Amino acid sequence: MFFFYLLSGLFLGWSLGANDTGNIFGAAVETRMLKFKKAALIAAIFITLGAVLEGGGPSGTLGRLGSVDALGGAFTVALAAALTITLIVRIGIPVSTSQTIVGAIIGWNMFSGRLTDYRSLITIASSWVVAFVLSGTIAAFLFHLAKPLVNRSKAHLLEQDVFVRYALVVVGAFGAYSLGANNIANVVGVFVPVSPFKDLDLGGFITISGVQQLYLLGALSIVVGIYTYSHKVMRTVGKDLFHLSPITALIALSAEAIVLFLFASRGLYNLLLSLGLPTIPLVPVSSTQVIVGAVVGIGLSKGGKNIRYNILARISIAWVAAPVLAALISFTLLFIIQNVFETKVQQETHYIFDRRSITKIAEEGFDTSTLSTVNGRSFSSERDIYRELQEHESLSRDDMLRIIKLSEIHRLKVDFAKLQNSGMHNRFTPNQLKRIEELNEQVYRHKWQLQADLAKEAEFELHDSPLTEHQKNDNRLLQGKLDVLFRAFLLEEQTD
Amino acid sequence: MALLLKTTRFVESQIDTFLDIVSDSATTFQLAVEDYLEGRIEQFEERLAQIREFEHRADDLRVSIERFLYERTLIPENRGDVLAILENTDEVIDNIKDSLLQFSIELPQIPTELNDLWMQTTRASVAAVEQLVFAVRSFFRDLAAVNNYIHKVHFFEREADHIGERLRRLIFGMDIELSRKSQLRFFAIHIEKISDAAQNVCDRLSIYTIKRQL
Repeated sequence: MFFFYLLSGLFLGWSLGANDTGNIFGAAVETRMLKFKKAALIAAIFITLGAVLEGGGPSGTLGRLGSVDALGGAFTVALAAALTITLIVRIGIPVSTSQTIVGAIIGWNMFSGRLTDYRSLITIASSWVVAFVLSGTIAAFLFHLAKPLVNRSKAHLLEQDVFVRYALVVVGAFGAYSLGANNIANVVGVFVPVSPFKDLDLGGFITISGVQQLYLLGALSIVVGIYTYSHKVMRTVGKDLFHLSPITALIALSAEAIVLFLFASRGLYNLLLSLGLPTIPLVPVSSTQVIVGAVVGIGLSKGGKNIRYNILARISIAWVAAPVLAALISFTLLFIIQNVFETKVQQETHYIFDRRSITKIAEEGFDTSTLSTVNGRSFSSERDIYRELQEHESLSRDDMLRIIKLSEIHRLKVDFAKLQNSGMHNRFTPNQLKRIEELNEQVYRHKWQLQADLAKEAEFELHDSPLTEHQKNDNRLLQGKLDVLFRAFLLEEQTD
Repeated sequence: MALLLKTTRFVESQIDTFLDIVSDSATTFQLAVEDYLEGRIEQFEERLAQIREFEHRADDLRVSIERFLYERTLIPENRGDVLAILENTDEVIDNIKDSLLQFSIELPQIPTELNDLWMQTTRASVAAVEQLVFAVRSFFRDLAAVNNYIHKVHFFEREADHIGERLRRLIFGMDIELSRKSQLRFFAIHIEKISDAAQNVCDRLSIYTIKRQL
């Protein structure tokens, strides 16, 4: 059943393969520097590698935006995004996969009564603008660097052609790797919370996690998209949208690859962290916006006369139209799938403000007198609680989100054997595993209860108020592990 | 790296050889005109035969370069431009050969008082072709220098026109038959046309240079 539901994700992967590969190799293929077959092969290999090896980072950010917790929901969200892309591409506007999937997730949040985490949304949305500006800046910088170099090198036109050709292959491979790492989250990210794949242990040396297997499947759908449809899109991107010479195409592609890598690489993130430098959020950015940013950067460096502002305006409109349309389609489809096909698109989640949860909320430092309107009541939608809490102006939206999470009923039963059978135990340290085993068979009503019990082992302890990037990163990684446990130990029966 | 550039280097050497032939043709043309004016007809015919040989070799090289560029999809973005440059440059050799061939066929009687201006026109036209060869070589290796050479081609073309005009005025001011004046004018114009052909290549070259600039 999971694989049927995954089809919409694979459809989305296909459209990403067709659409975004054009952004990488479009100019190279259109200037005939690379043959389509070669470009497709490089893209297929490196997008798959990027997706499987480094796809985890951006996916986490999407997960924080909205954790689609039912297969039917994930199916519909991915379908809505894929339909939006198909629709907008048919109108002739290059569209961003990242924006449509974010719009579709927000549509799910709206439909299921969940609150959208504005902080994650702002991180994602601002990264789109930053990615556009950054790629333009990098492209302009590379252009100014390349110009005197090319003039001074006095390499023969034919030799220059050979160098550019090989550089396009290398940079294209890097771009494809970065695209796979950055955008795989868009394709199958919504399926991560509901994935049935077990971790695979290959001879004790390499562990391929369930998520990586899911990414591999997503990457294969991208590959199908590359081989079946990207040739046409490459032509559109490389010829109609803007005309680049091989050298400027190489510059634009380099800028695109760098930006995609910056927003995708966990390795780079960790390196910056270890050097005490500011980190770049791991967010799925739009390869369309990034390549357009690069072209605008080059265009401005050449005096700005050759930029086709009408196309730029159309793309800018799509920045707003794509997520809004995706949210609307997602909402409508969810309604249809749930009510017409009677398919579960969300887990029924209940929230209770009983003695235990109120005490916990007080322990977290909140003034419980602000909870008078909800005290002793139970809810079945985040939004209902939000409306009640809104009466108290002293609570910020972030506070309310935290209070809601503490009141959420998420019945769990620690099942150490299940963790081992699914192969997920490889993600935990020996001390952490020992602690989980000690709690075997324990039943909990709230996530925070299990978390509190686990935290008696130091390696399960979150930093209270993380100040440094190191601490924030530690918390993020540990939270990822806790989420694995919350999903693995979730009881089917959620009512008492 | 050498392996990667093997085909490239081969085509590069072919292009260089082609341009060497153009340059040699121009120099041989000047020597041939000198021989003709000095009455060394046998030597003149040898030079004509040499230029015919140059023309054949240039044609073969051009076709070979063309085939390589298309078969190996080399410089796809500039291929059309490069081939146009080579074809137009090849026409300069054709002009040179045609001019000498007409001398060989018609054997015009050139009054000795015209020799100096005749040689000046020839030298200006040959200089235009030599500068053209520099311009084309720079197009491949040193884009910034192309315009300098193009400027010089224009200069020598104007010079050839200017001296050519003086030569024609002198011809028509002479006390000889009109048919002979007409024949000499035809030969003078033929020499000027060589520099015109060089200028035509340069006009294209300057556009291709703009296209290639980053």
